[in-house]
Amino acid sequence: MHLVIGGAYQGKLRYAMEHFGVTPELVFDCSEGGIDFDAPCIVHGERYALTCVREGREASDDFRAQRERWRNAVILCDDISCGVVPIDPEMRAWREASGRLVNYLAGEAESVTRLFCSIPQVIK
Amino acid sequence: MTVFLSGGAKNGKSYHAQRISKALSRGAPLYYIATMIPHDSEDNARIARHLREREGWGFETLECPVRLLSCLDCSDSRGTFLLDSVTALLSNEMFSPEGEIDRSAPERVVRELTEFAARAANAVFVSDFIYSDAMLYDEMTEAYRKGLALCDAALARCCDSVIEVSGGVMTAHKGVLL
Repeated sequence: MHLVIGGAYQGKLRYAMEHFGVTPELVFDCSEGGIDFDAPCIVHGERYALTCVREGREASDDFRAQRERWRNAVILCDDISCGVVPIDPEMRAWREASGRLVNYLAGEAESVTRLFCSIPQVIK
Repeated sequence: MTVFLSGGAKNGKSYHAQRISKALSRGAPLYYIATMIPHDSEDNARIARHLREREGWGFETLECPVRLLSCLDCSDSRGTFLLDSVTALLSNEMFSPEGEIDRSAPERVVRELTEFAARAANAVFVSDFIYSDAMLYDEMTEAYRKGLALCDAALARCCDSVIEVSGGVMTAHKGVLL
């Protein structure tokens, strides 16, 4: 699995397309709700963490349980960790769950790339 | 030479941008492109503080809240230009005081920034990294964040150096540290 992280709109999907051969039909976008652990490319993994918060589950546990299904995928997550601690409890829980998910995925990943203004930096 | 700096708020971007601009100017004209349109006493105080901080650096101030290329008409393009910030420039171009939103602004600002970078002998651009907080924004704010990211990516593509400033420390993502 290759993990691509960075802030919103930093060019993660374009990078995955150019670098890992991802095409639009291979992509599952978690911001539309739900997840497909079998998708070759899972984008907005951080939004699955929000879905789980709303449903009372832990996203990193779900990923851990389905490891065989996504272990060859390309996974993209927005880094949502750098703002002020949100006042809204749901946003606060999301921020923490997203952090735990990205940490778990980074640990499992063959490579981790961070995008900054569309410039990639391989950090693992 | 062109330099793009970004990073979180209050991390030392403006200081480094001024220092780099000064070093690049080597006695040629040194310009500060002021982008802020003051709306209240808080803005006036911020501008006064920025003016004090720039005292003694030798900057000539060009007031240019919109239409970036117009400031080349009243300056020497062989000089060094500091644009602080891309964030304010896009905001001025995109949102009118009457509350209207111009959705074509990001593409227009991208074109102007790219042309400006090509025409100025030296230019230093400062932007803000507003892409990593845990918030679901309204559609208008998302359009602005996406628009600023478009400007940032265009500048990162055309500038010689791309530098992230964090805690006053610089990291080069492209080119050399200055």
